[in-house]
Amino acid sequence: MELLINIFVNGLATGMLIFLLAAGLTLIFGLMDVLNFAHGGLFVWGAFAAVWTYTATDSFMLAILGALLTGVVLGFVTEKLIIAPVYGNHVQQILITLGFMLVLTEMIKVVFGPNQLAAGVPSYLAGSFEIGDVILIKYRLFIIVTGFVVFALIQFILKRTKIGLIVRAGVLNKDMVQALGIHIKKVFLYTFIAGAALAAFGGALMAPYSGVVYAEMGLEFGILAFIVVVIGGMGSLPGSLFAAILVGLAGSFMAYYVPDLSLAVNMILMAIVLIFRPQGLFAARG
Amino acid sequence: MAKALSLHNGVYLIIALALIIFPFVTESRTWTILLTQIFIFAILAMSYDLLLGYTGIVSFGHAMFFGIGAYSTGIFLKSFEPTLLYFILSIACGMVLAAIVSFFVGILTLRLKSHYFAMLTLALSGLFLVAAEKWRTLTYGNDGFTFRAPEIFQDRLVFYLVALGCLLASFVFLKRFVSSPMGRVLISLRENESRTASLGFKTLHYKVIASVAAGVIASLAGSLYAISLRFVNTSVMTMDITLDALLMTIIGGVGTLIGPILGAGVIELAQHYLSGLARENPIFERWIILFGILYILAVIFFPRGIAGGIQSLYLKLRGKKVGVHRSLKKRVVKS
Amino acid sequence: MANLLEMRNVHTYIGEYHILQGVDFTASAGQVSVLLGRNGAGKTTTLKTIMGLHPAKSGTILFEGKPIEKLSTHKIARSGLGYVPEDQGIFSTLTVEENIRVAMRDQSDATAKRINYVLELFPDLKKFWKKNGGNLSGGQKQMLSMARAFIQDSRLLLIDEPSKGLAPVVIGKVIEAIHELKKQSTIVLVEQNFRMASKVGDTFTLIDDGRTVHTGEMGYLIENEEMKRKYLGIG
Repeated sequence: MELLINIFVNGLATGMLIFLLAAGLTLIFGLMDVLNFAHGGLFVWGAFAAVWTYTATDSFMLAILGALLTGVVLGFVTEKLIIAPVYGNHVQQILITLGFMLVLTEMIKVVFGPNQLAAGVPSYLAGSFEIGDVILIKYRLFIIVTGFVVFALIQFILKRTKIGLIVRAGVLNKDMVQALGIHIKKVFLYTFIAGAALAAFGGALMAPYSGVVYAEMGLEFGILAFIVVVIGGMGSLPGSLFAAILVGLAGSFMAYYVPDLSLAVNMILMAIVLIFRPQGLFAARG
Repeated sequence: MAKALSLHNGVYLIIALALIIFPFVTESRTWTILLTQIFIFAILAMSYDLLLGYTGIVSFGHAMFFGIGAYSTGIFLKSFEPTLLYFILSIACGMVLAAIVSFFVGILTLRLKSHYFAMLTLALSGLFLVAAEKWRTLTYGNDGFTFRAPEIFQDRLVFYLVALGCLLASFVFLKRFVSSPMGRVLISLRENESRTASLGFKTLHYKVIASVAAGVIASLAGSLYAISLRFVNTSVMTMDITLDALLMTIIGGVGTLIGPILGAGVIELAQHYLSGLARENPIFERWIILFGILYILAVIFFPRGIAGGIQSLYLKLRGKKVGVHRSLKKRVVKS
Repeated sequence: MANLLEMRNVHTYIGEYHILQGVDFTASAGQVSVLLGRNGAGKTTTLKTIMGLHPAKSGTILFEGKPIEKLSTHKIARSGLGYVPEDQGIFSTLTVEENIRVAMRDQSDATAKRINYVLELFPDLKKFWKKNGGNLSGGQKQMLSMARAFIQDSRLLLIDEPSKGLAPVVIGKVIEAIHELKKQSTIVLVEQNFRMASKVGDTFTLIDDGRTVHTGEMGYLIENEEMKRKYLGIG
């Protein structure tokens, strides 16, 4: 029983980290119709920025702030330089963002050195709770709670604020939003920056969870986030949450019971969804 | 037009001859090996160009066909005798396997829109990678295995000529393929898929044929690659191979066939020299940044890459008005 | 009467297709001007060009004397044009209230007054206030779309084929609504249904193959059987 709970908590925590990445990705796709293959690069920059800040200041809060700031700056630059020239052309978007992903990954090695960095858990989140025989690692619980809080926060912004309303309307019909006098390009930029900040935040939380950060984890997690977005339905936030948890749990259970298949399970899940229901489980449009 | 064409062919012929003579006049083993490597990747990049440049689809799974070729040759030569016959059989086997796989993958994936297609090809090639890692009795997983190449390839020069021959054959084949009526349909697919469909062409049918052709040629490149290393491991199935093909195609010039060859040359050479320089200053280990930036600039500003640049320079020198390729025009409008 | 909107020799391309090949059009303040023409003549493109959704390649478009053809869509909208597209452009998974809220530019009393005005004009909207836009009937969607454009204090409303797909009874209601809105705002109407056009229009402009071929008082067209046959295929 305690084993099952541990596997479950582990999977849920991984799922939540993927969700933080996927949330930005799915919103950007839903609103801007842009598929950002460089999203994982923003994630890994967040992770490194957080580890660097944490090492320098010993403050987890500052580390997260550092990651968010990195995400905002990189998000701004990426939207202006990389995304804006290729609006409306999917093939070019795929090509250019993939190229930018390579550049972001290599730049990590230039700025932070080519080796992986060790990341520590702040003392107040280290350790675990013991309830009977069940051991719950604090940091994992922290990630799970944070994930749900972020989900609730995004939902609140989308449902209860004017900017959220405009984003939801923009997902449905961009032209009409503009014809109602709204500067949609500006909304695009804000959404993109918010998505980038979320990715960087995910990276910051990921670092202490995995214990080390390395440049290539951007591509790894970027692909996972894509898988989640595709399974959940591009543009659907609840879909991404559901799919992220699904992918997290599937990975965690498979790693224990059928380790040979654990690498393949996500790919198989996505392939099945794409073949039988390409719009994803929760289609945002139509 | 006919004159221009024969001029083109003349230039190609001269370059081909120069490449054939090259190893006989130079003693440099390094150059022979380096050029062989370039030929192999040029074949891979050309096959990718058939998809990206002529059909307008972005595949993230091209490495699986390269890997199929590499493993076929590796496993054949390890399990049976390292003779020329088995080498040829292994190439044929790889091509047939690649054709079968690309046919089914194509049917499954090509119905989807561009980014779903990209993701599904990524997933399927990911599954091939996992299979290569887990089926250790056959592939020895990530550790890989060495094998002996046929006796005749002990001479680097022979293998150089074989690789060059394969490159020339692939080039001629693809050139004919894209200028056939079939190729015209593919190009019109890239320009406007729905219009092509409304003209009564079965677009899926044509795309599947293109992806089979691309898969088969990528498999050939994989077979040659395996021989050149006398070693195969899972790296032949990784995303890195697809990324290499992508970089070479984009930087060299999409939709030109000659571009990917140039791209392969430029990238392999630069990689060779820059990693040499890296011994002095580690910043050169990050050569991919330079190519990443070049690549991004190419996507936005020079969609026809080096080959397109040379072409318009040539036309300018001849005092002709530079003809803007239609795909270029469209991209400019869109950006 | 002052020309509120004036288009002169406007050309528009969609991709490589040359759709508008010289459209001249004026809308006088306080009137309902109707754009007529066959399917594919370029009427919808004309409205989209005015709104900047398919920007003009050449020619001028003046609104209240100021050129707007180079402005982006949101600026055109903010300069005082409201757009009711052919498919109504309702945000289907947003409620009626949210559809209205997207269009609200401020919380001022003036806006509140205009909202009250349209809700009285279209009581159905009030009734289905919390219902999703996608679940409304065709007529109700039309009302919502007009309401959305109107509450922005638009001095010119561009309405694209409001009668399309509606039952005759509902068309009657739309005609009433246009008569009512006309008291507050100038209207440009694209209409295939000539009976409706003739009932609400003051002036007409005939577009054929992307060019303006005729313009005049609606009464003139009603009488002119040959013109109707030639350009509209009716009569």
